[in-house]
Amino acid sequence: MHVAAAAVHDPASAAAPVQAACFHCGEPNPPGRTWQAAIDGAERVFCCAGCRGVAQTLRAAGLDAFYTRRSVTSERPVEARDEWAAYDAIAETTGVLRPGPDGECEISLLVEGIRCAACVWLNESYLRRQSGVTEVSINFATRRARVRWDGRKSKLSDLLRSVAAIGYRAYPYDPRRREALARAESRRLLTRTAIAVLMMMQVMMFSVPAYISDDGIAPEHQALLDWASLVLTLPVLLFCAAPFFKGALRDLRLRRLGMDIPIALGIGGAFVASAWATWSRSGAVYYDSVTMFVALLLVARYLEQYGRHKAADTIEAIARELPQTGDRLPRYPDASIVETVVASALASGDVVRVPAGAAFPADGCVLDGRSSVEEAVLTGESRPVARSAGDRVLAGSVNRESPLLVRVTAAGDATQLAGVVRLVDRAASQRPRIARLTDRVAGAFVCALLVIAAAVALTWLALDPSRAVAVTFAVLVVSCPCALSLATPAALAAGAGALARRQIVAVRPDALETLARVTHVVLDKTGTLTLGALRLNDVIAFGVRDRQALVALASALEQGSSHPIAAAFTDAAPPLAGVHDILAVPGCGVEGVCDGVRHRLGRPAWVGALHGHALPAGAAELPPDMIVTALADERGWLAFFVLGDELKPGARALVEALKRLHLDVSLLSGDREETVQHVAAATGIASARGGAGPEDKRAAIARLQAAGAIVAMVGDGINDAPSLAQADVSISLAGAAPLTQWTADIVVLGTDIGRVGDAIAGASRTFSVIRQNLAWAFVYNVVAIPLAAAGLLTPLLAALGMSLSSLLVVANALRLTRMHTSARRATSLRESPAIVPEAAA
Amino acid sequence: MLLVPLSIVLVFLIGAAFWWSVGSGQFDDLDGPAHRILEDDDSHV
Repeated sequence: MHVAAAAVHDPASAAAPVQAACFHCGEPNPPGRTWQAAIDGAERVFCCAGCRGVAQTLRAAGLDAFYTRRSVTSERPVEARDEWAAYDAIAETTGVLRPGPDGECEISLLVEGIRCAACVWLNESYLRRQSGVTEVSINFATRRARVRWDGRKSKLSDLLRSVAAIGYRAYPYDPRRREALARAESRRLLTRTAIAVLMMMQVMMFSVPAYISDDGIAPEHQALLDWASLVLTLPVLLFCAAPFFKGALRDLRLRRLGMDIPIALGIGGAFVASAWATWSRSGAVYYDSVTMFVALLLVARYLEQYGRHKAADTIEAIARELPQTGDRLPRYPDASIVETVVASALASGDVVRVPAGAAFPADGCVLDGRSSVEEAVLTGESRPVARSAGDRVLAGSVNRESPLLVRVTAAGDATQLAGVVRLVDRAASQRPRIARLTDRVAGAFVCALLVIAAAVALTWLALDPSRAVAVTFAVLVVSCPCALSLATPAALAAGAGALARRQIVAVRPDALETLARVTHVVLDKTGTLTLGALRLNDVIAFGVRDRQALVALASALEQGSSHPIAAAFTDAAPPLAGVHDILAVPGCGVEGVCDGVRHRLGRPAWVGALHGHALPAGAAELPPDMIVTALADERGWLAFFVLGDELKPGARALVEALKRLHLDVSLLSGDREETVQHVAAATGIASARGGAGPEDKRAAIARLQAAGAIVAMVGDGINDAPSLAQADVSISLAGAAPLTQWTADIVVLGTDIGRVGDAIAGASRTFSVIRQNLAWAFVYNVVAIPLAAAGLLTPLLAALGMSLSSLLVVANALRLTRMHTSARRATSLRESPAIVPEAAA
Repeated sequence: MLLVPLSIVLVFLIGAAFWWSVGSGQFDDLDGPAHRILEDDDSHV
């Protein structure tokens, strides 16, 4: 890297250029003693050594373009106290950082001091230049940086120190710190809103006399009321409306047009005109319009922020489920010594005791005890599931009944829960296309609006100068870009939050948008519509022996086998003792001796060859989609076992739900044609095809797309990779599959197939709300702006119209936060034969 | 004549009171307290 040494002058140099404010932080320079350096080809003055150091670091790194890009002056670097080294130890003990096998580390950092897009650019570029750093992405909205680097080349403290060197502060991400920031933000906005509303009411009181009196009030009384309104409007302008002015200033510096510019121009202009009118005692005042406009706009922003935080809370709530500590038994099986350790300090192989009512601190396997466990966080299933020795338990799920001893298999960042959180995080750090698009359109809209306002101002100055201010103010204020700038992000956040509450995560940012436009849904059979495991459905016995004994016999014959059929028997009954000389014949079945008699279990033809009898009556009528296994001894047929792959509980309901959404549903599977047709008939799918390999599936989807369809593929996310990739949007059910293997655009956590329908319904609701808002904005602006330009709207009416319009679009977007309740209720009523209390409540 | 300045003072007082109440966290959780009275666990009371 080219390193240019910055020229450093003696602090007391007489040739010091006169600059009042520090080049880096913008604070006034202390008189007398200053620091200088050549930056951007000119001599710059700094208020302290820290600021100069930062600027020189930037210069040396070739990043001094920052000073031309930034829109606000940077924060003063905090005095160099090297606290960063401590974070290496903290990160290690608390487990925020967990190096991979090749030394690769990944961490979430909360970067303080980020105020604009240039700050994001600067931090990203600077971090990327640090030794070993491979990937940096910073989310402007959440101020979170995801950094991936080689832990052998740099330590965490090196990265934190390098961020500090350019004047920001980064800390390992801690949800509580973020929560505190969010709370402060929300409090500030609430205070602003409430004060604006309060002032608005009082200013309205003062302006009522002028409105209701027919012959006007005495000039000295009017002057008093005007001055009183001025006093009350000042705090609204300086304090409550500060975010609009700051935003407008930021937009101007970044040379882009945001919705804050016309707002700031409108309220600033109207206030100055009113103040001049009050001072010179001539002309009209618009204090009431200004305060009302600011108050109602702030109400809309408060609602929008409330919705956004609620959506973020849903995601944070998942992360917060992980308990902070765990009770470790260091000398297991001696249970007398218990030490409490930080959850993330647990390691694979540790034994922990989890009391009833507590959450599991890590993923693990139950060693001892029997209890029921609620896994709602990970699967969305609120009914507890039974867990006893040998069963898997997941971090974050809650132990309901009695204490369990658990051997840890994964802790800290390696847990399934941490994986889910990372997934959600990554999804949240990317901006969907529609949000970028609406931003651009909003920019064009504001530009057009400013041109119109200028034209209107000039026209009215020529026609009737006394009304020019009022009409221009009305034009600036009446236009409503909120549907673009405020309501679309709010709708996206609310929609994603509502889906996340239902354990549906859009991994790719544009996935929801594509999902909302889907016309065809292609389902995979095994593992998606069906449970994917064979089950013993029926036993047809031909002798005197009872069914249970026959199943036990079959189970004994199959006990050494790893064939999928074998599991169906061994799950159904414990094997009978005394079966020996077991021999597996590939492609046919198994043979063995029981009570001195040879038995065969397997294909009917092969089994029949043992005794030579014809197939018994009734065997031909067995359902064609089922696998039929025969059992016989040397004397004749003993039993037929009917095995089948069972439909998932919500499969039929899902197909019905998809049809109600007017989607074409088809089934593609690698299974036998008859089996697939049977599943299709059972679930009500008209178009089904069996015997399709991965490439056939991909080709079938490509054919649908060629015919103009937008295809969503639902698979298990692990097989089916080509078809998942070919489809416009892919959905996978996570189930128990390892997170790293998920390739889909949308991941449904848990195994409830019905959520696929919820995901599609949720996505289309989100986008229909966005469309409604955009349509409303179009109609409203097309009607309102000409009315205002023609001078038919008073400033008060214009402010009222715009505020109500923003409230409308924001409220419409916020409807999405509540969408899960009705959907859930409908599902539980449909699926359960009796009304469960939960649904009736 | 006296009432107008008085009302201004009053409005500012109310504003300051609200500022304090927000700062002390009374508006942080608008749903929680409503649910809390429905919870059965009164052991800490």
